[in-house]
Amino acid sequence: MDVGFLSDTFIKLIGALPVTLEVWALSVALGAIVAAGVTFMRVSGSRPLELFARAYIFVFRGTPLLVQLFIFYYGLSSFPAVRHSLFWPFLRDAFSCAVLSLALCTAAYQSEIFRGALASVPPGQVEAARACGMSGFRLFRRVILPIALRQALPSYATEVISMTKATALVSLVTLWDVLSVALKIRNDTLVTYAPLLVAGAIYFVLNYFIARVFVFIEYRLSPHLRPRPS
Amino acid sequence: MPQAFALTVSGMRKRFGALEVLKGVSLQAREGDVISILGSSGSGKSTMLRCINLLETPDEGVVTVAGETIKMRKRGERAEPADRRQVDRIRSELGMVFQSFNLWSHLTILENLIEAPVHVQKRPKAECVAEARALLEKVGIADKWAHYPAHLSGGQQQRAAIARALAMRPKVMLFDEPTSALDPELVGEVLRVMRALAEEGRTMLVVTHEMSFARDVSSRVVFLHKGLVEAEGPPAELFGDPKSERFRQFIAKDKR
Repeated sequence: MDVGFLSDTFIKLIGALPVTLEVWALSVALGAIVAAGVTFMRVSGSRPLELFARAYIFVFRGTPLLVQLFIFYYGLSSFPAVRHSLFWPFLRDAFSCAVLSLALCTAAYQSEIFRGALASVPPGQVEAARACGMSGFRLFRRVILPIALRQALPSYATEVISMTKATALVSLVTLWDVLSVALKIRNDTLVTYAPLLVAGAIYFVLNYFIARVFVFIEYRLSPHLRPRPS
Repeated sequence: MPQAFALTVSGMRKRFGALEVLKGVSLQAREGDVISILGSSGSGKSTMLRCINLLETPDEGVVTVAGETIKMRKRGERAEPADRRQVDRIRSELGMVFQSFNLWSHLTILENLIEAPVHVQKRPKAECVAEARALLEKVGIADKWAHYPAHLSGGQQQRAAIARALAMRPKVMLFDEPTSALDPELVGEVLRVMRALAEEGRTMLVVTHEMSFARDVSSRVVFLHKGLVEAEGPPAELFGDPKSERFRQFIAKDKR
């Protein structure tokens, strides 16, 4: 295996990195918004909303992401109603299908992280806020959310990192992400492992930086958990 | 003219399932009164305190703070506050101190003190900071203003919690067993702060097990037994010549 081939492969794969990053960033962000909604339903106290949220999490967490992705990309188009609907221009597009199915899947996981974080807020601190006259959105914004976010960060980082790896699945719905370019080089050159090795390294470095960012955020937001200043 | 009532409770009842914790409790605090509420565990004393600022919703009864009655309405079997905003406002006029301090863990001590004054009462921040620093001085932890609660001892946390309650300029202070979660050697520093507050004429309701505080500091003692006021009066009278056999037994237990 020569260095020229490796660097050539590396440059080609880096060229596909923007697709991987776009799918990742959009699906994580969209997933967070959906997750916020699902979490709200889950803790709303309304029985139908709670059941819907539970069912949503049950389905999207209980089935393989690849199955979900195929259903969105190949499955939905088999319904004439979908093909004639307003959303067809959106759903026929591999990129938007990929983002949508990744987002809906991560939303299920993220909302469980959010729910756990909310449950971990010490009731006494919420009670103290109520006793000071806080309620509703102010109570949520000033006390519950800041405490819950800090609690959520470590598991949230794990979910975000696992999402970069999940984006590799979009190579199976015709998108030219890092993995699909690597697979194409492998097919074209019959060099089996070098392109995969380079692809793996790119994901690894990407996740390294994401992990560092989360460690930094966690550090910044947790001065109260650090040792007492001397 | 008699002093105005800072707080009155009348006919308060509260039931948890089959258990009736409060069976019609009434109580009046004039301005400057320091009322110790005693009773063995399960007598309903903490529940009564928590029903005053509606951390628990009383099933029946009327609470009036500085002349303003908390409006309640019936909803089926249960009662609920009729006006949530009024509840929030009245809560901000009642400073609550909890057994387990309940300082906000993500905020520094100074931030804990100015949180409600700035964000609930909407007072100017500079004014709140100045007042908060003076309060920290008063409770003896002025140098800890930049620390987080986890960095303080229990006694210091409780003093900070008292300062946080005072920062809202409350009309009445409610203490829910403020020294029960503290190591014995830290109880004194909290009681000293409470004694100082009593001496400057604050209206205080103190649920406590500290007999010395009840006897020496409070202007009145209320003894609850099984959800009813069993005995009530100035401490000298109550401790000196207890009419109630149950109260006699209760204080005898403490002496042993």
